[in-house]
Amino acid sequence: MALYKPEVEKAVAEIAAQKAKLVCIQLPDGMKPYAKDIADEIEDKTSAKVLIWLGSNFGACDIPLGLNRMGVDLLISWGHNRFHKKEGW
Amino acid sequence: MKTLFLDAPYNGTIELAAETLAYLKKKKYKTVGLYASVQFVNNLEKVKEQLQKNNITAITSHADRTHVQGQLLGCDNYHNSLNLSKDENKKIDCYLYIGDGKFHPLALVYSQKDSDAVKEIVCNDPIQKKMSLMGMADIKGILKKYKGSLVRFLSADTIGIIITIKPGQEQFRPALALENQFPDKKFYYFIDNVVSFDQLENFNFIEVWVNTACPRVGFDDQEKFVKGVINLNDALHAGEILGKDSMMNNLQ
Repeated sequence: MALYKPEVEKAVAEIAAQKAKLVCIQLPDGMKPYAKDIADEIEDKTSAKVLIWLGSNFGACDIPLGLNRMGVDLLISWGHNRFHKKEGW
Repeated sequence: MKTLFLDAPYNGTIELAAETLAYLKKKKYKTVGLYASVQFVNNLEKVKEQLQKNNITAITSHADRTHVQGQLLGCDNYHNSLNLSKDENKKIDCYLYIGDGKFHPLALVYSQKDSDAVKEIVCNDPIQKKMSLMGMADIKGILKKYKGSLVRFLSADTIGIIITIKPGQEQFRPALALENQFPDKKFYYFIDNVVSFDQLENFNFIEVWVNTACPRVGFDDQEKFVKGVINLNDALHAGEILGKDSMMNNLQ
């Protein structure tokens, strides 16, 4: 993880602030090999259970659907910032 | 459910490689359009300083779908995505992209497909400390196929419109405008989570596809559509685009 700063401390702080119990982490392809490190650190430092999103992460437009139905409290998505959708291209 | 986005900023120094500066000077570029991907965009002070020292002016802007000034997304690939004024656009000699990979800077090439002239894209990779160049030659093959798909769209009777349901991508309502524009064509709407390329050929009654999900699907994944695909924005103006004196239409 030397190239990019994952800033897991921000994720941990948000989990605490939200009192989240079940979180989903979504990583771009280049960061997927580090899912273990990130999930381990979150589970070490919080009481939240981590789900790792297996699928795509093309951008902030590509947020997983259906997580609410599983009771996920917080989605943490790495590698992108807020996306401003433009209706109608 | 709340979503937290974390940029994953680059950990190293972000600066222009010696070859980048040498190239900008050799080409006598006086004004560059400066853009970067999110991992690099919040730390461009050193790059700006280097440009200033070399008397090169940096112009930047807040592109359509981005969150911060100077950021470039792969989907900001429309001719007006960068929101530059006519005057700024005229002043810019070339684009200078800071980041790694080709996905983001290719948006700057696609955005010029309907222009009658093209600005070069100088890519500076702060990780490899290297420069590379990008231009129409990089998308020539794709654009030739894309133009063929545009021609096919105009003559086709049965069109498949692809809509993905993720909120950031879904464009069903805007796609309906095609029905007014082309009342003699029959449009079928296909809905999916992500575009399932392996399913396309099962719907063999479709003559050509219109993509309304990420616009880069219409370009970068052109090969995966046996029947051809065009993006919604181009479908809406297909005749006009094909009649222009443009980079795409003048490809040899």
